[in-house]
Amino acid sequence: MTTLSWIFFGMLLLTVFLLGAQALRLAGRARAQQRSIGELSEALKRSQEYAEQQKSKLAQRSDMDVAKDEFISTVSHELRTPLTSIRGALGLLSAGLLGNVDAKAQNLLRIASSNTERLIRLINDILDLERMESGRAPLKLRRCSILDLAREAIDSMTPMADGAGVALELTCSAPRDSIYFDADPDRILQVLTNLLSNAIKFSPEDSKVFVQIESDTNSVALKVVDRGRGIPADKLDAVFDRFQQVESGDASKKGGTGLGLAICRSIIQQHGGAIWAQANQSGPGATLWMQLSRSARASDTNLPSLVAGPGERGEGLILVCDDDAGIREVVAEQLRQHGYEIMEAGSGEEVIAIARAQAARARDHSGLPISALLLDLYMPGLSGWETLQRLKETPATASIPVVVLSVIPATERTLLAGEAQGWVQKPFNENLLLAELGRVLRAKAGPGQILLVEQDQSQAKVIMGSFEQAGIRMDHAATLQQAVDRCLLGAPDLIILDLTLPDGDGFSLVDWLRRQPALHSLPLVVYSSREVSEAEMQKLRLGPTQFFTKAKVRPSEVEELVLGMVSRLRNGTPVAAA
Amino acid sequence: MRHILIIDDEDDIREVAALSLEATAGWEIVTANSGAAGILAAANPTRRPHAILMDVMMPGMDGPTTFRQMQLNPEIAGIPVLLLTAKVQGVDQRRFADLGVAGVLFKPFDPLTLAAQISAALGWKD
Repeated sequence: MTTLSWIFFGMLLLTVFLLGAQALRLAGRARAQQRSIGELSEALKRSQEYAEQQKSKLAQRSDMDVAKDEFISTVSHELRTPLTSIRGALGLLSAGLLGNVDAKAQNLLRIASSNTERLIRLINDILDLERMESGRAPLKLRRCSILDLAREAIDSMTPMADGAGVALELTCSAPRDSIYFDADPDRILQVLTNLLSNAIKFSPEDSKVFVQIESDTNSVALKVVDRGRGIPADKLDAVFDRFQQVESGDASKKGGTGLGLAICRSIIQQHGGAIWAQANQSGPGATLWMQLSRSARASDTNLPSLVAGPGERGEGLILVCDDDAGIREVVAEQLRQHGYEIMEAGSGEEVIAIARAQAARARDHSGLPISALLLDLYMPGLSGWETLQRLKETPATASIPVVVLSVIPATERTLLAGEAQGWVQKPFNENLLLAELGRVLRAKAGPGQILLVEQDQSQAKVIMGSFEQAGIRMDHAATLQQAVDRCLLGAPDLIILDLTLPDGDGFSLVDWLRRQPALHSLPLVVYSSREVSEAEMQKLRLGPTQFFTKAKVRPSEVEELVLGMVSRLRNGTPVAAA
Repeated sequence: MRHILIIDDEDDIREVAALSLEATAGWEIVTANSGAAGILAAANPTRRPHAILMDVMMPGMDGPTTFRQMQLNPEIAGIPVLLLTAKVQGVDQRRFADLGVAGVLFKPFDPLTLAAQISAALGWKD
């Protein structure tokens, strides 16, 4: 059965590689067709032809992207379906749930079972890597604490460490206010657990794995130090390549997929950071480093405590009021997942008590102020309307932004004009709730500024239209020169960049921005009609950088991401000052 | 005794999942090989399932469509449905959550913990 599985896997790899090779060939041909500097009279005609050819190439490429997406999606389904039966059958047999099996057969079942698990991990890792490198897994950036993430990773890896007789030890030499940075916490957690899992696998029994956090004003760094057999000097870089192992047979002995560190590297690069391996200075073993840039925020010092719960990622404290505990729970869970901290109230009376108490705590810095209140209108006792009135009567609670969460349609919001800043109709959809809450919180923070660099006027209009309602000010530059001029006037909060420009390209703009001290770490969203290669991505990174292919994402997804980036980056010290 | 209805077009997966739930939790299992057959089985008043475990990708009515059909029938609309999917794309998961299903489980599932995963998703303590 393992042979069969490997054949499935081989088919997957082969086809993925064939598609990749085809993409490379196309890219190669496109480059070869670069305009040669010939006679001027020919140049105009040629450039027109070239433009036409490129257009059709791009169309082909985006068709291929769609085909590739579908292929990956189908393959993932088609491989997992037979694996489900195999894993199920082997699992039940080897657990002895259906009767006893003799020792030899038991051993064979164990081999088949553990290799099935390995094949499943491999397929998951390959698909994960593929999704990341094709830009189909955009980062969900938010303010994170490296200390919390390290603790979370250690908690989840402790059972594995215990099993291997290895102790995990965390130290943090970073000042309390410089452990916060902008990143996708789930992805960083994936990196940390991968690094820990590697360190544990290669550690001798009764040894320790050290996790050390070092950070300063501009960066957050974390290293994982093990006392294992170490990595030879000539393999220090190669360990981050796919299917690289220090000794042959490691993958099967250690149960790895050979993709863990490649995934780590991909994630860290997507964040614009660095990851590398070092031999330990004294004694055996290896040290794996990851480093991400950070910009300080005034709000970081106000965060309540060093031991922040998983929900406390700096998005703000939301008070959720509904007399239905089920609804409170659903809303609270969704908001927590997006980095908000939640307090719950079951009645209007409770809202008033909590809001007053919390305002007092915020005054003496023993608690966070309430960033917004989500309020149901129909409640027994004090209704939502009455609750609002009472809040407005007390100066300490009068300025809390309110988002109404009600079965009453938003068209009736004039009922509460001036009293509630946002409105979400029940039954609600998670995205709408988040968008409305985000809008209200951002409105409080003042308008943002985005520079859109896009040569096509009609596309620019569409993009700008989608941001208008969000209270974001958007400047538009249609040429490289306009973009440079605009940036010299003052740094925007974020740049959205199309790569094709009439008087140059996106690469030259990024190259220029990188050389400007005030602009080199601006957040950037590259929004291009064609797929951007790994090598090109390297040339396009500024601060936190995201890549989108126009045909692949809906404008609303870009909008959601950009709004999130802006609101997070604007709250504190401007990024450009870092 | 819990009754579980498993709806999946793959014969092997139905069999393995049924064996797994019977052997690890002692639940009583009814299976159906399509969305339509699943709706009929769920509506059987003598053996109303306590929960439904349903594949997403099925020929004919797929899992989400079957789920929506079930919601139109007041007799079975209250039965919690867990979708079983072989895809792990985030977008899919969000789409399923919006549907209002009780949970999403992933293939390949672990036959030894499948029952525990179902219990956890449904808040069953026994």
